[in-house]
Amino acid sequence: MLELQHGLKLDKTLDEKARQNFVSGLRAYILNDMATDMRTAYEADVRPRFERQHGRSPRDGAEVHAAIRNHDHFKFYSSLRVTAQDMVWQTVLPVVDRERDALAERAGNLAKQRPEVKLELDPALAVPRSVSAIDVHLMPGNYDREHGPDDLSAGAVYDNGLAVFSFGLMGQNLDDIGQSISRFVRAKYPGFEPRRILDLGCTIGHNTGSWKDTYPQADVTGIDVAAPCLRYGAARARAQGRAVSFRQMNAESLAYPDASFDLVFSSMFLHEIPRKGIAKVLAEAHRVLKPGGLMLHMELPPNSQMSAYDAFYLDWDSYYNNEPYYKPFRDQRPEALCKAAGFDPKKYVQFVVPSVGWYGENVFERALAAETEVDSDKTGRLADGIQWFCFGAWK
Amino acid sequence: MAERRSLPRTIRGGRPVFFADPAVDKVIAMMLHLSSEVWALRERLAALEAIGRGRGVVLEGEVDRHSFSAEDAARLEAQRREFIDGLFRVLKADLPPAAASKPEPASAGLRLVKSRRSPAQAKAAKVRAKAASRRPKARKR
Repeated sequence: MLELQHGLKLDKTLDEKARQNFVSGLRAYILNDMATDMRTAYEADVRPRFERQHGRSPRDGAEVHAAIRNHDHFKFYSSLRVTAQDMVWQTVLPVVDRERDALAERAGNLAKQRPEVKLELDPALAVPRSVSAIDVHLMPGNYDREHGPDDLSAGAVYDNGLAVFSFGLMGQNLDDIGQSISRFVRAKYPGFEPRRILDLGCTIGHNTGSWKDTYPQADVTGIDVAAPCLRYGAARARAQGRAVSFRQMNAESLAYPDASFDLVFSSMFLHEIPRKGIAKVLAEAHRVLKPGGLMLHMELPPNSQMSAYDAFYLDWDSYYNNEPYYKPFRDQRPEALCKAAGFDPKKYVQFVVPSVGWYGENVFERALAAETEVDSDKTGRLADGIQWFCFGAWK
Repeated sequence: MAERRSLPRTIRGGRPVFFADPAVDKVIAMMLHLSSEVWALRERLAALEAIGRGRGVVLEGEVDRHSFSAEDAARLEAQRREFIDGLFRVLKADLPPAAASKPEPASAGLRLVKSRRSPAQAKAAKVRAKAASRRPKARKR
């Protein structure tokens, strides 16, 4: 299990650490070994049977899903994966519940020590139903629920849960996406010097701070609708010594004037919101970008660019991990979304960025040579070999 | 929000089930919980053995002869209760919250489940109905 390396790391007993180790190991086994077995069963058994019945291969993820769902490999993979997902949170919740008063005290002290990290909450903000009404990722309480005054426990649950969930593949402080993409952008566009950067739907700001690391002169702000995550995120940034700011705000309706940012970024965010919301977010990103600015979203790759089996494999989360908007998002074409938001199709960009943590610093030369092709179950997934898909456009 | 509450442990909307009999999914959850506890014990034993070796203490034999003090026995009793609660936690997810504890707010906007039953319960009812309709009537040979 990954141990968080920042100042909000929680005290755990030996047993609590051992349980988290077990769940991390269990997830690695399910997502590597069992996933491979399921694919083997599909190729050896499910697909040939489908072809005999229909005279063709499955066309898309939905057809693969329908064909495989009665197979024992699918059932065991899925039941074990759901259980392991629940166990991620169950190994973290008792620790956070016990430690959260001490955590709040540390956060209070950090706020006095590092006043340059600004936190601006908006108690009047209406949290959208896509957040307030479901427990995304099967995480009890989701990102936004508060369990006491000035509560930051949802942020702590998410941070610590993600550490168990990712079994080390998202970076030591879960910032591999931000570190990889920000450094890729700097390498690919050496003349681009963003001064104002906005991170949409930043949750605990684990990827927000990377932009400050890569562009130290920039003014970096993370926004989210969930106050407990932002409180925790501000404390986390303070503990890490990263001078970024946080504001409670809905990305569908930004409280910023037109043309106020050079870079608008998000990671693993768009697939959490309904289609109408995605259109609003992209239109708002277009509005607040300065001419010559860049919008960039790290996401799961679209179904249109994957094989039917890979599409099914990623869509699993939409059906079984409380991610109702994940498939609808991935069924859309990113180029079309950007165009509809007002971006010039000629200025559309798409990258598959290799993970700095996985491949090392010198990986970008290779990546810069071969951008845009996406067709792999390893893309943006926690399998062996980590790459992050992103798309966007210049204004 | 002024009042401090315990963090919720259950998922709104319930968890999906994959086997025709949802009990299988529950047994899998129990087995994994048990596996996790067995693993935690292994790590704890490894720590104890390492500490013992570091102090020149050989624990073999002594462990089998040991009897717990009343205080230790009471602590173990409480821990055993917690262990068993954990093992069967998955069975409680379908039950209405106990009268003493505060219920989770229902997912009002996005109803993942249309009926008041959890998905597991709904599926179980469906399976029972299907099985009943398929059951051949008693025939005389």
